[in-house]
Amino acid sequence: MVKSLIAKSLNQALEALDNHSYQIVAGGTDMLIQNRSHTGMPIGYKQDIIYINLIDELNYIKEDKENIYIGANTRLETILESDITPKILKDVILEMASPAIRHTATLAGNIGNASPAGDSLVVLYLLDCKLEIKSINNTRTVFLKDFITGVRKIALNNNELITKLIIPKTNFTNIYFRKVGPRLSDAISKLSFAGGYLIENNQIKDLRIALGAVYITIIRSREIEKEFIGITVDELVENKEKLIKAYEPLIKPIDDQRSNRNYRKKVALNLIKEFISKIEEA
Amino acid sequence: MKDISKSINKVDNEEKISGSAKYTADIKIEGMLFAMTLRSSIRKGEIKNISYPDLPKGYYIIDYKDVQGKNVVKVIFDDMPIFTEKKISYLYEPIALVIGPDKQKIVEIIDMIEIEYKEEEPLLAWTDSVLDYHFDKGIGLKAFDEADKVITYDYQTGYQEQAYIETQGFIGYPEGEKTTLIGSIQCPYYVKNALIQALGEREENVRVIQSTVGGAFGGKEEFPSLMGCQLAVAVKKIKKPIQLIYEREEDMLVTTKRHPAKINFEAAIKDNKIYGLKAKVGIDAGATIGLSGVVLSRALLACTGAYTIDNLDISGNVYRTNTVPNGAFRGFGAPQMMFAIEMFVEHIAQDLNINPLEFRNSIVAKQNDLTSTSGIYRDPILMPEMIEKAIEVSNYLEKKKTYSNPNIYKGIGMSYFFHGCGFTGSGEKDTIKARVKLRKTKDNKAEILIAAVDMGQGVKTTFRKLVANILEIGIEDVIFNNPDTDFVPDSGPTVASRTMMIVGGLVARATREIKKRWHEKEFIVEKEYEQPEYIKYDEKTFKGDAYPAYSWGVNVVEVEVDKTTYQVKIVKTWSVYDGGKAIDERIVFGQADGGLAQGIGYGYLEVMNHKDGRIQQKNMTDYIIPTALDMCDMETYLYDNPYAYGPYGAKGVGELTLVGGAPAVAKAIENAINKRVYKIPVTPEYIMELIDNGKN
Amino acid sequence: MAKIKFKLNDKTVELESDINRRLLDVLRDDFSLTGPKEGCGEGECGACAVLLNQKIVNSCCTPLANVDGQEIVTIEGFSKTKRYQIIKDAFSEMGGVQCGFCTPGMVIAAESLLNKNPHPTDQEIRIALSGNLCRCTGYNMIVKAIKKAAKDGEGLW
Ligand SMILES: Cc1cc2nc3c(=O)[nH]c(=O)nc-3n(C[C@H](O)[C@H](O)[C@H](O)COP(=O)(O)OP(=O)(O)OC[C@H]3O[C@@H](n4cnc5c(N)ncnc54)[C@H](O)[C@@H]3O)c2cc1C
Ligand code: FES
Ligand code: FES
Repeated sequence: MVKSLIAKSLNQALEALDNHSYQIVAGGTDMLIQNRSHTGMPIGYKQDIIYINLIDELNYIKEDKENIYIGANTRLETILESDITPKILKDVILEMASPAIRHTATLAGNIGNASPAGDSLVVLYLLDCKLEIKSINNTRTVFLKDFITGVRKIALNNNELITKLIIPKTNFTNIYFRKVGPRLSDAISKLSFAGGYLIENNQIKDLRIALGAVYITIIRSREIEKEFIGITVDELVENKEKLIKAYEPLIKPIDDQRSNRNYRKKVALNLIKEFISKIEEA
Repeated sequence: MKDISKSINKVDNEEKISGSAKYTADIKIEGMLFAMTLRSSIRKGEIKNISYPDLPKGYYIIDYKDVQGKNVVKVIFDDMPIFTEKKISYLYEPIALVIGPDKQKIVEIIDMIEIEYKEEEPLLAWTDSVLDYHFDKGIGLKAFDEADKVITYDYQTGYQEQAYIETQGFIGYPEGEKTTLIGSIQCPYYVKNALIQALGEREENVRVIQSTVGGAFGGKEEFPSLMGCQLAVAVKKIKKPIQLIYEREEDMLVTTKRHPAKINFEAAIKDNKIYGLKAKVGIDAGATIGLSGVVLSRALLACTGAYTIDNLDISGNVYRTNTVPNGAFRGFGAPQMMFAIEMFVEHIAQDLNINPLEFRNSIVAKQNDLTSTSGIYRDPILMPEMIEKAIEVSNYLEKKKTYSNPNIYKGIGMSYFFHGCGFTGSGEKDTIKARVKLRKTKDNKAEILIAAVDMGQGVKTTFRKLVANILEIGIEDVIFNNPDTDFVPDSGPTVASRTMMIVGGLVARATREIKKRWHEKEFIVEKEYEQPEYIKYDEKTFKGDAYPAYSWGVNVVEVEVDKTTYQVKIVKTWSVYDGGKAIDERIVFGQADGGLAQGIGYGYLEVMNHKDGRIQQKNMTDYIIPTALDMCDMETYLYDNPYAYGPYGAKGVGELTLVGGAPAVAKAIENAINKRVYKIPVTPEYIMELIDNGKN
Repeated sequence: MAKIKFKLNDKTVELESDINRRLLDVLRDDFSLTGPKEGCGEGECGACAVLLNQKIVNSCCTPLANVDGQEIVTIEGFSKTKRYQIIKDAFSEMGGVQCGFCTPGMVIAAESLLNKNPHPTDQEIRIALSGNLCRCTGYNMIVKAIKKAAKDGEGLW
C-alpha cells in the first residue's frame, strides 16, 4: 500500500517533500481518474501521495499593478467568479469540464498534468504566465512555457511545489479563446486556440497566437509573432497567407479516438484565419 | 370517466428523487462476494493452455467446466457460449469468473492467471454472411426493366452504444435449492429461461427478480442473460451471495451495441416517380449472431420508410466478424434503415430536380396501401395533417428557403417515419405467447402480475393508471411490484414497443373481467395473447402483416454549423407523433424528448468505432452523448389516433421517438452546408470532408 | 490510514480509514448512503454528485483526504430540507424523472445552482447541468423543472 499524507500548511508540505518523494494531489480530478482501480477499492496510486488541497494559504486570487496572482490551490470556480480574473481566463474556465469538476480542479493541476489538451494552458501560454515554485529553502520563478517540457513532462524537482501562477496584466485590443471539443460542454478538446492582439494607430503593437492539442505541447511561436508585429493592419491582412503558412509546419496533430489529424490541422489553420479576419473587421 | 391521457405524478418519483430507490448496486447482502470476469486478450484464436494459480481460501474460479447445463446462452440464435471453452472469437470474450471477498485479491489472482493462445488473424471485413434474407413486392426487380432511369446511392451507419447511466449488473444468491438473481434487466423471463438451460435446472429452482433499472434502451434485453448465466453457475456451485457488476469501461468494451449497417439502394424511376426499389442491406453482427436476424428483418421491413413503393426487391445479410457482439437497441434495425431511406428519397428528388417536400408528400403511405411485405395499413394514417402541423410550428418552409443560402450555415431538416408496433411477424403468437394475471384482493385492491419492467419509461405508472381507470378505483388501490418470476407469469420481454399495446391490452381485458366480478372476495384472472384474426404473416416469404399496428412521426430539427470548426449546434426540435392514445401524456412527452435526443445523438454526435477489432471509445469521456448544453428546447405534439386492439387505443411510442432523429439532423446539416450526407454520425470531421469535396 | 473528521448531512462523523479511498465508496459502503451512484467512475456523469461546502462535486473523483474538516451533504441529507421539497415537486410535475439513476445528481446540481443563482436563465441551467448526464429525458423536462423550482421556491434561495 502506498503511503499518503494530508498537508494542511505550506511548510508542512514542503518539509514532507524535502524528506520523501511524493506525487502531489490537489483537486485530484486528473490523478484519481488516471489511477482509478475498481469500485470500492482505494485509488490505485503507483507512488506515495501528498494531498495539498486543504492548504488554505495557497487558495487565493490577488493582484497588483503588474500581475494577477493565483494560488495553486484556488479552484477553477473561484477563479471564474472573481472580479480580478481576466475575461479570457474566465472564457476558458467556463469551457473546462463541468461545475462539479470546476469546484475541485485547479489551474496548477491543469499545468501539472501537462496534457497537450489542457485547456487553460493555451490561454496561460498566450498571457506569458509564470509560475512560482517553492521548495523548503528555495523559491524560483519560471515561465510556464519552459516548465512544460513534453507530454505529461514538467520541470519540477521532487522537493518542489507550484505555489502560484503569475499572470502579467497585458493590454489587448481583443483577445479570444476557442475550444473545439467533441460536444459543446464537458469534453476533452480536439484542439483549442487562443489569440490576442493590440492595435494602436492602425499598427499591430502586439500579436499572439497559441494552439492546443495539435502538437506535443502548446504551440506558441514568438518568432512568427515578431515578424508581424509593427506592421499595419492592412499589411497583416495582405500577409495573411504568409502567416498561416508560417504556422503550418508547427502543427503536427495526431489521430486518436476523438478526432483525426486532417481535421485538427485544417481547423487549426481555419482558426488562425478566422482570427485574422476578426482583426480585419475590427 | 376521466380522460386517461391526463398526466399524473409518476408513482416512483418520490423514491427516485430522494435517492432511496434501490438499484442493483445498492443492494447489499450479508457475506456477499464479488465476481470479476477473466477475458481474452486476443481477438481470434484458441486457448492452448490456461493455468490458474493456487487459490487462497474463500476464492473461486468458475469457468465452462462448471456449467452443468448447456454452455450456451439462450437468446434467439443460440451461438454465444456462457464461458468460452477454447475458441476465442472477439477481444475480451469471457473465459471465467474470479470470485472472492476482496476485490484487490481478485485482481491479483486475475493477474496471475496465465493463458497461452494460438492466435489467428481476425476477420473484420464483412464477408462471412451467416444469414441471408430476401423478399419482393409487386413485380419486384422487373420494375427496373421499365425504368426511365436508375438512381443509386450507398448509405452507412455506425455503432451506437446504449450508454444507460447505470451499468449492467446482478446479484445472485442461493435460496435452498433455488438459485435467485436480482438484476438490472428488461426481460426477467429471458434471463430465467437462459438460466434454466445453463443450470440444467427445473423451472421452480430458478428465480429472477428485477431491481430498479437505471436505463436500458435494449442494452439490457439479451446481454443480461450472458452475465446472469455466468453468475448463476457460480452461485449454484459456491452457494453464497455474489455480486457481478460491470464498471463503465468493461460495460463499454464488452456489451452489445447497435449494429453498424451499410445500405445500397437502387431506384427505378419512371415518370419521375419511384417505380421500383432495390435494397441490399448488410449489418455487422460481431462475433455471435444472437438476435441479429431479427434486427435485420426489422430493418428490411422498414425499407420504404413512411412511403409506399409498389415494387420492391429487398435483400439483406448478417455478417459475422471478430468484434464485440451487437444486439438490441431501441429501434432495433429501423433507425439504420430510416436514415438511409429518408436520405435516399431526398437525394432522388434532388437528382430529378423536383421539390423534395412535394416529392415526398406525394408518396407518403395512406390507409389501405400495401406495406413492404404486402400487408395492409388498415388504420387511418394521419401523416398529411401531421406534416402540415410540423411545417407550421417550425416555420419549416421559410427557414428552409432562407438557409439554402450557402453563407448562412444554418439548416432545418424534416424526417417522416413509422415504427411497427410489437414483435415482428408472428412472434407474439408463435414465440412469446404472453400471459398476464390480475389478482383481486380481499381488501378490494387489484394486483398486476406481469413481467414488464419499468426502466424509466413509466410502466409502473401507466399500468396502474390503466387498471385504476377501468375499475374506477384510486391508483393507490392498484399494486404493481417489480417483476419476480416466482410470482408473475411470462408476459414477454419489455421490448419492441409492445408493452402497453400488447401487455396493456391483455391487462385491460383482465381488468374488465375483474370489474364484472368485483363483488367476489379474492380471485385471479389470467389472460393469454390472442392475435387479431386478420393478422397473417409468413416469416419465410416475408409476406403479410408484419405488425398489428404502426405508429407514425415527423421530426423537424434546426441546426447551426460553425464554418470554422464544422461543429454542429442543435437549435430546436419540433415533433409530431401518432402513437395511438397516450395513456399518460407527460410520460409520452418524456419518451419523445429522450428518444429524439438519442436519435439526434446517433445522427451527429455519437462516435464509436473499432480499430482492428478493438473498441476505441472505452469510457464516457471518449464516447460522447449529448449533455444539457448540446440539447435544446424540444416541442412535441401528439395526435390521437386510437388503435382498436390497444388499451384505450394505445400503440407503441418507446422506439418511434428515436427512429426519425438521425435523418432529421442529417438533413438539417445538408441544408446548412449545401452538401449531401451519406453516413452517420455526421461528425465535424465528415462535414469538413463534405464541404471540401462533397456533392451538392 | 488516518483519522478523518467531517460533517456529513449535518452530523459530525469521524472515521479511521485509508485516505486514498474515493468519497463515493466511503458514503456508499461505510455510511450506506446509496443516493450517490456510480455511473462512470471518472467524473463524467454526475450520478455520484454531492455537495461539498454547499457546492456540487463528484464524489467519485474526490479522495477522502480532501474532505477532512469539510462539510458534505448527500441527497439523503438534502432531502430533509424545504428546498428539496420544492425541487422534488417541480421534477415530478414537469416530468424530470425517468429511470431515476441520474436524478439525485440532478437535484444536487439544481441546488448548487440555485444556491448561487436563484433566478437562472435556461442557458444558465443548462450550463449548471452540463456535468450531469441523463440518457433518458433529453434534459428538456429537467430544465423546465429547475425553472419551475426557481419560481416556486422564490425567497428560499
Ligand atoms: C470529467 C472531467 C472533465 C475534464 N475536463 C477538462 C477540460 O475540459 N479541460 C481540461 O483542460 N481538463 C479537463 N479535465 C482534467 C482536469 O480536471 C484538469 O486538468 C484540472 O485542472 C486538474 O486539476 P486538479 O487540481 O484536479 O489536479 P490533480 O489531479 O490534483 O493534479 C494533476 C497533476 O498536477 C500535479 N499538481 C497539482 N497541483 C500541483 C502543485 N501545486 N504543484 C505541482 N504539481 C501539482 C499533480 O501531481 C498531477 O500530476 C477534466 C477532468 C475530468 C475528470
Ligand atoms: S460516477 Fe462520478 S461522475 Fe460518474
Ligand atoms: S432519468 Fe435515466 S439517466 Fe436520467
